[in-house]
Amino acid sequence: MEAMIYAENLRKEFKKIIKEPGLKGAAKALFKPNKEIVTAVDDISFEVPAGEILGFIGPNGAGKSTVIKMLTGILTPTSGFCRINGKIPQEDRKNYVREIGVVFGQRTQLWWDLALRETYSVLKEIYQVPEEQFKKRMTFLNEVLELDSFITSPVRTLSLGQRMRADIAAALLHSPKVLFLDEPTIGLDVVVKENIRSAIRKINEEEGTTVILTTHDLADIELLCERIVMIDKGRKVFDGGLSELRHNFGDVRTLRFELVNGPDFKLLDYRRRFKLTDDDVSAERDGSSVTVRFDTAKVSVEEMISYTLSTVHVKDLNIKDVEIEEIIKKLYRREVSL
Amino acid sequence: MMRYIRLHRIFIAQYLKRLMEYKVDFMLGAIGLLIAQGMQLIFLGIIFSAIPALKGWQFEEVLFIYGFSLVPKTIDHLFTDNLWMVGYRIIRKGEFDKYLTRPINTLYHVIAENFCVDAFGELLTCILLLAYSIPKLSIPFHWYTIPLFLIVSIFATLIYTSLKIMTSAISFWTKASGHITHMLYMTNDFGKYPVTIYNKAVQALITYVIPFAFTAYFPATYFLTGKNPLFCLGGTVIAGTVLFLLAIFVWNRGLRAYESAGS
Ligand SMILES: Nc1ncnc2c1ncn2[C@@H]1O[C@H](COP(=O)(O)OP(=O)(O)OP(=O)(O)O)[C@@H](O)[C@H]1O
Ligand SMILES: [Mg+2]
Repeated sequence: MEAMIYAENLRKEFKKIIKEPGLKGAAKALFKPNKEIVTAVDDISFEVPAGEILGFIGPNGAGKSTVIKMLTGILTPTSGFCRINGKIPQEDRKNYVREIGVVFGQRTQLWWDLALRETYSVLKEIYQVPEEQFKKRMTFLNEVLELDSFITSPVRTLSLGQRMRADIAAALLHSPKVLFLDEPTIGLDVVVKENIRSAIRKINEEEGTTVILTTHDLADIELLCERIVMIDKGRKVFDGGLSELRHNFGDVRTLRFELVNGPDFKLLDYRRRFKLTDDDVSAERDGSSVTVRFDTAKVSVEEMISYTLSTVHVKDLNIKDVEIEEIIKKLYRREVSL
Repeated sequence: MMRYIRLHRIFIAQYLKRLMEYKVDFMLGAIGLLIAQGMQLIFLGIIFSAIPALKGWQFEEVLFIYGFSLVPKTIDHLFTDNLWMVGYRIIRKGEFDKYLTRPINTLYHVIAENFCVDAFGELLTCILLLAYSIPKLSIPFHWYTIPLFLIVSIFATLIYTSLKIMTSAISFWTKASGHITHMLYMTNDFGKYPVTIYNKAVQALITYVIPFAFTAYFPATYFLTGKNPLFCLGGTVIAGTVLFLLAIFVWNRGLRAYESAGS
């Protein structure tokens, strides 16, 4: 069976006219435009099986939104193609969009002056959702996204968090098979973020909806996505599961020991014991707790723990997972070669 | 088709609700409009009383043509005003994205989303002019006059709307084209008067290039004289149809060129 989303060598170029400053420059641009081609997306291929939540990450200007716009049929690729749910968006737009939902966190898709409730009844007609199903759906969306308190307000009066939930509900009204979310948590507080995440999870689990989401909040990725695609300057630089990312790049571990006697800290000398440099290990004390970060390629977790336990009295021990944020920061800075 | 009609009703209802919400704005708009239309009527009165016969055209005939020209203009204004926004804002700001993610025709969707009640001001002028001029003219009247009038009005409207669609669609490539639509609209004033008062170049321009003459002068002269139906009415039907097909073509090509906006 073919993947729900299939993209092959997607490429998008934008022509940019370079204007020189001032009126003279503007006139020159009019008659002899100085064109430059910006490659926003540079031959990207990937697949998403049905029912998966895929996280799309990358620094600002990487080309994430441009990919989403091609997948949703808003932009026509310069070359390459994508097929989603068996359809090519640019060829069969009206039938295709019936089965997808799209949210751009940066911009509302709703009518500015309409009360939210009215908005949904217009969308109901546009998507031809039967009355019975519409009622059920509204109850469900009301429940997971907590729309009740502002459903009678005009869209222009909603706060960012309310508007985002309203937009997500609008994208889900017609029970799409695929949901595209471009920065659905941008600018939201933790409570609303959590509400939105649990809604996405619920839709994905209960209805098997395939989800692609872009974000700069790595918590979204850790909490929602089984797989990530990372792009940088229009190119795909990583495609795989979170554990794979950790496995490949995450060789730094963090252990935290709770000592019975704080000052015992000075007895611990990891550098001498394992013949390590400052780059490979660091140990910090804060009251009675000691945090040790080290490179697992140089010394194993087991050796580290047994040395510590045999040297000092330990009350409690905590092994922290590799922090995905650290890895991604490194990738963005191109410290990790791929 | 039925679905689109149903949708249109819903869009109109929503529009009216919105209108009610901005009561003050609506009232001020209505008052402003009445003043503007009143001024225009006075202005016309002054011009036409100064030149009672225009190159062999009677005063009432000129009024009839002018009144006739307002029929398609009013219908176009009432229903398709949102196209202006396409050229001025919607494409440049990337707001067109949302139309592309909905399962209905994009052109229909943008057009249906807004109405322009301002057009009722023009409608008032139009009715006054026709009601004043028709009784004073000996217009040949048959059973088919009214149906013909309705049909020709639709095609004349199509001329206006198609030109607006085409010029708005230019912004799919250039990002903004409101000024082009605006420039084109300036020339529609030529169509409000008998074309014989212009020189040959202007006549050719508004007959064959930007066929505003077919939105008023030609069909109106048919109704006045009963002569030349093939050219006067047929021309309107052909111009309306050809321009509309062309407009759809340009629009659809434009969709492929649409670049959205950065964020
Ligand atoms: N409509 C457009 N016209 C011209 N250039 C564009 C357009 N849209 C995007 N770009 C350019 O394409 C590149 C990718 O932009 P895109 O918006 O896809 O990035 P992104 O990964 O979504 O970034 P962010 O995280 O900041 O949202 C940028 O260099 C941007 O300037
Ligand atoms: Mg973006």
